[in-house]
Amino acid sequence: MMLFLWGSLSAQTPMITDGMMTPKKDLGNGIFYGFDSWNKYWEGTLKRDNQNIGTLTTQAATWMGVYGLTEKITLIGMLPYVWTKASGGTLHSMQGLQDLTLAAKYNYFNKEWGQNSIRLFALGSYSLPTTNYTPDFLPLSIGMGCKSLSARLTGTYSLKKVWTFTASGAYTWRGNIFLDRPSYYTNGQMYFSNEVQMFDQFDFIVRAGYHQSNWHAELFYTQQNTLGGGDIRRQDMPFASNQMNYSKIGASFLYVIPQVKNLAARAWGSYTIAGRNVGQSTTINAGLMYTLHFSNTQ
Amino acid sequence: MNTFKFYIALFFITSLTIVVSCNKEVTYSEGLTPLQPTNVDANAGTWKPVFVTSYTKYAASVPTPADTSTAAYKTELTTIKNLQSVLTSSQKKAIDYWSGGGVLRWNQIFRELVARYNLPPAPLANGTYIFPDANNPFADPQFPFSNPPYAARAYSYVSAAIYDALKATWYYKYQYNRPSPYLVDKGVKSLMPKVNIPSYPSEEAVMSGVTQTILLALFPAAYDEIMIKAGEQRSAALLSGKASSSDITVGIALGKAVAADYVARAGTDGTSTAIGTKAQWQVLGDTAKAHWAKLPAPVAASDVITWLSLDVPSRPPMLPFFGTKTSPGLGVKGWMMTNANFISERPGPPPIATQSEMKNQVDEVKYYSQNLTREREGIVLKWADGAGTYTPPGHWNQIAEGYVRDANFSEVRAARAFALLNMAMHDAAVGCWEAKYYYFNPRPTQLDPSIKTGTGIPNFPSYTSGHSTFSSAAATVLSYLFPDDATYFTDQAQEASLSRLYGAIHYRVDIEAGSDHGKRIGSYTVSFAQTDGAN
Repeated sequence: MMLFLWGSLSAQTPMITDGMMTPKKDLGNGIFYGFDSWNKYWEGTLKRDNQNIGTLTTQAATWMGVYGLTEKITLIGMLPYVWTKASGGTLHSMQGLQDLTLAAKYNYFNKEWGQNSIRLFALGSYSLPTTNYTPDFLPLSIGMGCKSLSARLTGTYSLKKVWTFTASGAYTWRGNIFLDRPSYYTNGQMYFSNEVQMFDQFDFIVRAGYHQSNWHAELFYTQQNTLGGGDIRRQDMPFASNQMNYSKIGASFLYVIPQVKNLAARAWGSYTIAGRNVGQSTTINAGLMYTLHFSNTQ
Repeated sequence: MNTFKFYIALFFITSLTIVVSCNKEVTYSEGLTPLQPTNVDANAGTWKPVFVTSYTKYAASVPTPADTSTAAYKTELTTIKNLQSVLTSSQKKAIDYWSGGGVLRWNQIFRELVARYNLPPAPLANGTYIFPDANNPFADPQFPFSNPPYAARAYSYVSAAIYDALKATWYYKYQYNRPSPYLVDKGVKSLMPKVNIPSYPSEEAVMSGVTQTILLALFPAAYDEIMIKAGEQRSAALLSGKASSSDITVGIALGKAVAADYVARAGTDGTSTAIGTKAQWQVLGDTAKAHWAKLPAPVAASDVITWLSLDVPSRPPMLPFFGTKTSPGLGVKGWMMTNANFISERPGPPPIATQSEMKNQVDEVKYYSQNLTREREGIVLKWADGAGTYTPPGHWNQIAEGYVRDANFSEVRAARAFALLNMAMHDAAVGCWEAKYYYFNPRPTQLDPSIKTGTGIPNFPSYTSGHSTFSSAAATVLSYLFPDDATYFTDQAQEASLSRLYGAIHYRVDIEAGSDHGKRIGSYTVSFAQTDGAN
């Protein structure tokens, strides 16, 4: 899920950016499948194709777990296994376990009046590579190889119990990465070092949705900006610390399956409408989540 | 639950500290220590020239200096004292920067220029390519495309010219024996490391003049940057009390005079015809088949599979006439090797593509393609040195840099090390390109399209491996210069070679023949070095 090439992982995941909590002592486990593909990308600000890449496809199978620590705190974990493949050219496809993300969502404010409500959330998440994959083989690398930490604020407004409006924004600190080579050139400078500074990122998402007893549909717009980094030079390959920015529109759908107790299906997809140093992705994710109740009150 | 919350908070605070503390700005350039040579090499003016005919031919650029007791010279001292009294922080920074050694600094700078300009032209919408235009260097595609042969040649011109210019400098320094301003007048501060050598002409000014002239010819679009660096170097010599304005004026003139001879050579060394024309590219295959037919064990044209570009759209081959030695008027000159040397050192043919011996070679490449372990991938990426980088010759300059710095060589001996290294790698480029287009052998993926690669497939024939030839020529020269570390250099060259097999872009025969070839090519430079008077 949510492996958007050259994009931040957690910013795309509804569980991270939505206003939903997991009841106390509920444990949800799910597997999601993600499919992302593009055949055009932005080389800096120039949109182009590249027949030596053709269509770049990224697939991921992601484990996701959620646990209600308290009514106010939900813990989230995810770990994707990622495959990349280019349809053109000769470059080797890549695959492997990518980054483990651990997050805690805290619902610190609720206010209800009539059939309306406002709820506010703070989320912290930490992400680190679980394997020694290389970030130096873009666009086929399975990830960026950096540790990161995000601080996110989310607010949802529920109108007449059926309309939902959510806004969420995060600042992500990213740690430096280390390459296998002793030098690199980026952003107009030569670096005689294998250490690469990964610039921090900011992202936000706004969602509007309609809610019924066992389903919830939303439309969203999301944007990510990298707060530094150089452009891909003309006819150069992308580099891990490029300034990767994008804007996407998308939709998501949640359906609690009535026939099977404790099972929910979730799907979302998006399309990149603008970008810089990223592929123009179309992305689809779908999966199932099964919940176990450990609470005595059930 | 509060304990839980506390631990969660603690976890995130710790994580933030870890991430933020490793999110530091990366140093822009490799640090150099202030250069304090262990030996000033006072006799360098007697060392053999590389290319210039003599050092005395530049006598007109280096007139007899005014005596340090003259009023004119005293005015120069007053100027320095005045400038030193109002030094800005950026001037102090420049003095510190150039105190690391001019030869080493310029080597870093031209490695950066190579990386900046090492990008192939993008295809046009109609599937063709246009070539970089020296007369329109800022266009798309930018000029030059400093690919490995271009880069090897560029490194060698700059390094060899600096070396000859510094030997000429030493010649005149010890002819006139004029001391540095800070030694003449105690009121002049010495802000660079004190090197006990005469200051007329200033070696910093000579380096700035020679390097600026050659780099501008090679990288014309980098005009501003080159001029700023060159100006900064000679200002640093003046402001530091190391050289007077007449030491500097004459140094610039001497540097430019030596550079002019090198630029004249570069204009007629065969590079201008190395790209060729479409009509010439179309007969490369037939020419190669004719070569195969004339081998001691002749091969029929029908048994020869010739190289095809694997770029999409198909791209004209990279510098097909860079190494040519069998068509009069084509091919780039070597430094230490004659055309006859290049022909006699050419590796024998690879196995014939249609025979079983070649199938074994392909099978081995396929094995590595399908078994790209993380360790081998690291080796592939370490040595890829492809588009957008300083190329394999640049990588070897970086390796050499640490050794030259730690050896505390004088500027002229440091220049010798880089000149020898880069002339050998230039000859390796010529020799390797000669073999590549002589045999015109296909890449593994051309023979078996299922072979996927761990790095981009270079757009030129397979046999022999450029990385192997460059690396073993470089290791041969560096082993001569720094014999205590010969094993390390040889191991690195071996690793660089294997990286091309691991990356599935070369057969084993390419890297073995390339390594042997590179060693033989490097030995020509070592033979020169053994008798150049510097030992």
